[in-house]
Amino acid sequence: MKDFEYFAPKTVEESLSFLSQYKEESKIIAGGQSMLVIMRQGLLAPENVVDIKGITALDYITYDEKEGLRIGALTTHRAIEKSPIIQKHFGVLSEMERNLATIQTRNWGTIGGNLCHGDPAGDPAPVLIALDAKLKLKSLSGERIITMEEFSKDLLEVDLKPDEMLIEIQVPAKRPHTGIAQEKLMVMQGDAGIVGAAVSITLKPEDGICEDTRVVLSNAASVPLRVREAEKRLIGKVISSHLLAEVGEVASAEADPPSDLHASAEYRREMVKVFVKRAAAKALERAKIG
Amino acid sequence: MAKKKVKKEEKPGVILKPEEYSIIGKPFPRVDARAKVTGEAKFAADIEMPDMLWGALKRSPYAHARILHIDTAKAERLPGVKAVITGKDFGGFKWGWSRETRDEEPLATTKVRYLYEGVAAVAAIDEDIAQEACELIEVEYESLPGVFDPFEAMEEGAPLVHDDRLGNICVEYHWDFGDVEKGFAESYLVQEDTFHTPRMAKGYIEPPAIVAYWTDATHLTVHAAKGSPYFSYRILSNCFQLPLSNVRVIQPFIGSDFGGTKNDMVNGDFAATMLAKTAGKPVKIVYTQFDELTTCLRRHPMWVTIKTGVTQDGKLKAIQTKVISDGGAYTRMSPLSNYLTGACMTLPYQLPNFKTDIYCYFTNNPSSAAMRGHGVYHTRFAGDVQMDMMAEKLGIDPVEIRLRNAIKNPKPGKLYETISKLHLATCGVEECIEKAAEAINWKEKKKKKRVEGYRAYGVGVAAGTFLSGAKLSGHNACAAIVRICEDGSVNLMTGATDVGQGSDSIMCALTAETLGIRLEDIDLKRVDTAHTPVDPGTYGSRVTVLAGEATVNAAKDAKRQLLEIAAKEFGVKPDEMEIKNKKAFVKTKPEMNISWERLVRMACYTTPGMVVIGKGQSTRGISVYGLTDFSSGTGDFGTNYSFTAQIQEVEVDMETGLVRCTDNSVIAHDCGFPLNPPAVDTQVVGGAYHPGVGAALYCEFKMDKGLTVNPNLVDYKLPRAYEAPMTEVIHVITNDPFGPFGAKEASEGSTCTAAPAVINALHDAAAIWIKELPAKPEKVYWALKEKRNNK
Amino acid sequence: MKGEPKELRFTVNGKLYELQVKPKALLSDVLRKDLKLTGTKRGCLESTCGVCTVILDGKAVRSCSILALQANGHQVTTIEGLAQGDKLHPIQEAFINHGAVECGFCIPGRVMMAKALLDENPDPSREEVRLAMQGILCADSGYVKQIEAVEIAAGKMRGGE
Repeated sequence: MKDFEYFAPKTVEESLSFLSQYKEESKIIAGGQSMLVIMRQGLLAPENVVDIKGITALDYITYDEKEGLRIGALTTHRAIEKSPIIQKHFGVLSEMERNLATIQTRNWGTIGGNLCHGDPAGDPAPVLIALDAKLKLKSLSGERIITMEEFSKDLLEVDLKPDEMLIEIQVPAKRPHTGIAQEKLMVMQGDAGIVGAAVSITLKPEDGICEDTRVVLSNAASVPLRVREAEKRLIGKVISSHLLAEVGEVASAEADPPSDLHASAEYRREMVKVFVKRAAAKALERAKIG
Repeated sequence: MAKKKVKKEEKPGVILKPEEYSIIGKPFPRVDARAKVTGEAKFAADIEMPDMLWGALKRSPYAHARILHIDTAKAERLPGVKAVITGKDFGGFKWGWSRETRDEEPLATTKVRYLYEGVAAVAAIDEDIAQEACELIEVEYESLPGVFDPFEAMEEGAPLVHDDRLGNICVEYHWDFGDVEKGFAESYLVQEDTFHTPRMAKGYIEPPAIVAYWTDATHLTVHAAKGSPYFSYRILSNCFQLPLSNVRVIQPFIGSDFGGTKNDMVNGDFAATMLAKTAGKPVKIVYTQFDELTTCLRRHPMWVTIKTGVTQDGKLKAIQTKVISDGGAYTRMSPLSNYLTGACMTLPYQLPNFKTDIYCYFTNNPSSAAMRGHGVYHTRFAGDVQMDMMAEKLGIDPVEIRLRNAIKNPKPGKLYETISKLHLATCGVEECIEKAAEAINWKEKKKKKRVEGYRAYGVGVAAGTFLSGAKLSGHNACAAIVRICEDGSVNLMTGATDVGQGSDSIMCALTAETLGIRLEDIDLKRVDTAHTPVDPGTYGSRVTVLAGEATVNAAKDAKRQLLEIAAKEFGVKPDEMEIKNKKAFVKTKPEMNISWERLVRMACYTTPGMVVIGKGQSTRGISVYGLTDFSSGTGDFGTNYSFTAQIQEVEVDMETGLVRCTDNSVIAHDCGFPLNPPAVDTQVVGGAYHPGVGAALYCEFKMDKGLTVNPNLVDYKLPRAYEAPMTEVIHVITNDPFGPFGAKEASEGSTCTAAPAVINALHDAAAIWIKELPAKPEKVYWALKEKRNNK
Repeated sequence: MKGEPKELRFTVNGKLYELQVKPKALLSDVLRKDLKLTGTKRGCLESTCGVCTVILDGKAVRSCSILALQANGHQVTTIEGLAQGDKLHPIQEAFINHGAVECGFCIPGRVMMAKALLDENPDPSREEVRLAMQGILCADSGYVKQIEAVEIAAGKMRGGE
């Protein structure tokens, strides 16, 4: 690994100053669980590293019945996994974290670091998109809020300017009769999914018709992919297993998965069908309960 | 098959009944466990010396190229660099696993034959400077066309990996026992299939590491993770033209070996020793997992074509195999690996006719070599899966067909001889199969097909064998020294290497049991070639059997010396006395006794005063079975043979093709007599899971023209804890007369049974045959789809 | 200035250390080279094998994947800090007595992982023990005895059998 200049700000403002000063010449490190590996391989050699792991002010999980969930960007995966608030109100986030890498990674790696890495195979982004989450970004010139979906621009590329920091993840309060689930194909526990699907379903209680839905795929495109054509097939219908199979087919056609040493694009397309179906079935079950 | 009487000179020692043992046969903790759990145990990478330098290697960016020019000037000028060397500094030295196969250089001089082969090295005051200096070394190459699998290598006019090895043939064997054509003609069912076993990493978590230093111009000392330190000492002695007595290989704790890389040499070993000589300071080189996974030895990928003929009731009439394997860039131990693919095919089932043609090719890939289950696993996988395929056609249950073919345990004093002239005094495979089937409730599981939603379940069985106490080629002798200190404490010195399999603990237990004292009274000195007697090392499942034999003989010698003193004291003959529970006593009058400490003191201090040193050798290891015998495939290359039967249940996700082992998992293992049962359990379970289930479901190097595409432990999937079945181990005791206290090797047998058991279970669950390992989800998925489409 | 050493002030096994380290130094390097605590092993160096696992502020982390300076102001426990003089921790004893120690290379990281697990959750299910062990590779044991040893230690630590 090459030498670098190192700053360890204790506040958000201090950190934003450094970013504003060094811009493209600087890189933020939080938990470093994604970053250190590529730095050691020589694929990334920043001149200046801004270590924000010590900014305790960004490590929080709060919940309000109206406003919903607020997660500080430096909250660790493990904290999200174990949070009683999250387990109670947004259990799908806790479930997703439980299957993410290993405990050691989750103990130090942060949700913000994960999202800013922009890996389309990552687990949190699709779930957050299904939850209709928004992200708060900040620079010295101000704040902006964008949706989780808008944040993902391309493979390993996110909508974050060089002088900006991700501050907070905002998840709106769950609507009644909504169920959310996430499933991924892991060969071994903790693997990145060969593909995955996060599905949210909101039902009209009187007739069980699907009022709203989000279907988001992981590792099936260069970004976490919302498959809108598939979603359209669900809206206004009573969901049967036959319909779920159809939705899986449509989602599969919308996907543009990679071929790599773990799986071919063809297999991934087949698995999209399976995991959309499974995640949707679980989401439906949960929607019916509450 | 012919039954022979036990030859006179091979008559075994008296075997006590297990209840009479004090230590052997009961659980006892490993002697080195405490050092390991406290972090005190030092491995090679933990060793630090004053003024120590760090070494780094310059590696070739081509898989096949001529080296035209190396310019080290810039590297030498970098501040902090203390020495720079190239292959030329070794004066044309070449080495190999045996004298006949010396085709590899310490660092390449004229040609590189695999990607990242070492061509130069640097020693500097820290790791970063050493790496930076390597980048400053300028090497000019002329890239050459290469061959990257045996099928390319065997083509007419293919580029040659070694100019003097036509056809890129590394080694080939042709054996013919009986008359296979007649056997096939007389068979009710004949079938031929081709199977593929993948290129695999050894999988140990400790990468190779070495610290080398010269105490003067002619004395070299090396601390290195070496499973067979005496190989290294011989090779280094040749390399630097030093007498063996001047080469000191000291063994730290070793993080496993599994039969290759740490068993012989890597570029880093030669680089560290030469750099240390040049710089006049200690040099340390520690590989990373990336180095390990891109340059170190792998298991040969093999293509096994097997043709089998059976009678209508499933009895084997003939087997013919053709084996093609990828040996990689250098010979290393390919002769042995490939020999073993045929050597155990006449076990564990009765086989009247066997023919094989084995071809190993050079390719421009990193070299292939031994790994647990060495050679035997490839063909055992093919044989045991095909056996199930044929059993299905005949309508015979898989357990039943194996029982019909199993070699029966010879009666005491008799030997079973195979058509290839292997001799068995014990063979517990029949009992292994029966006990495994009973333990897992085989009959019940086969009656009802279990399906839960999209999950289907199935069970599969396999039986296997492995040689024990390999007596293979070159110098095989091993010895032990038992030194009894004047206060009754005991030093044990053997050249046997504990790479984690627990041999140190076993040697101590054998010593304590033989002497009649406690395990805690034995202090084992780890291998230091300056002090410990020679031993070929940890491979071929030889340590318990052969080093064990030497250790028992050494302890007996020391005991004899003491009993002579005691006998004189009591006015009896030495053989009328025994030592047990730290008391020497007259067998017929136990009230005539003396404590261990008093006896030792008496021996040492009574004029003229003794020095009690017991010396023992292995007599069985001495008969050599060399490369010339490999060409016929005849005769015993092992002292005895272990047997295993495994039954594994799997869960198949029929929608994705994902296969998981369940906790319904049994291994019945005949290791003769388990010297430390819980230690045997862990070894057997680990042997099945890591290399066995690993091969069946997870592990495979992906190569692209010599480049390893998945050189990390996430993309190359090593088996992990969440998926591990809680396997039950059953001990089948056969008390082999040729092993110490009846012991045979433990656990390499289970490395051969796991993969076929899993694949057979997969078939039971999902009605598909996967013949090319690993059975990854995508592969299984397409096979399931094809089966559905064919219906 | 690039690479200029910065102050690292942290507690390791209850002892306070003040060092000057380069920013790129990894926590595992500082523990092994500067503090001579070689019990924590150097394995893959790329976050896959877990033998470098230590406990930081009560949580198991991979020391090869943390910049040493990130440990500034924190508490680290390594394998050397587990035994109390000659008295071994129940986890260490369970590993020895249950035959869960083979080559030993993964043991320090594994024992620390087990400690972090049992300190947080004194009565883990088998599933939870497996999840904890998932982060440290072994090549030798098949994991069975290790999983059982953690369960045995948990029982002892809870004061039971």
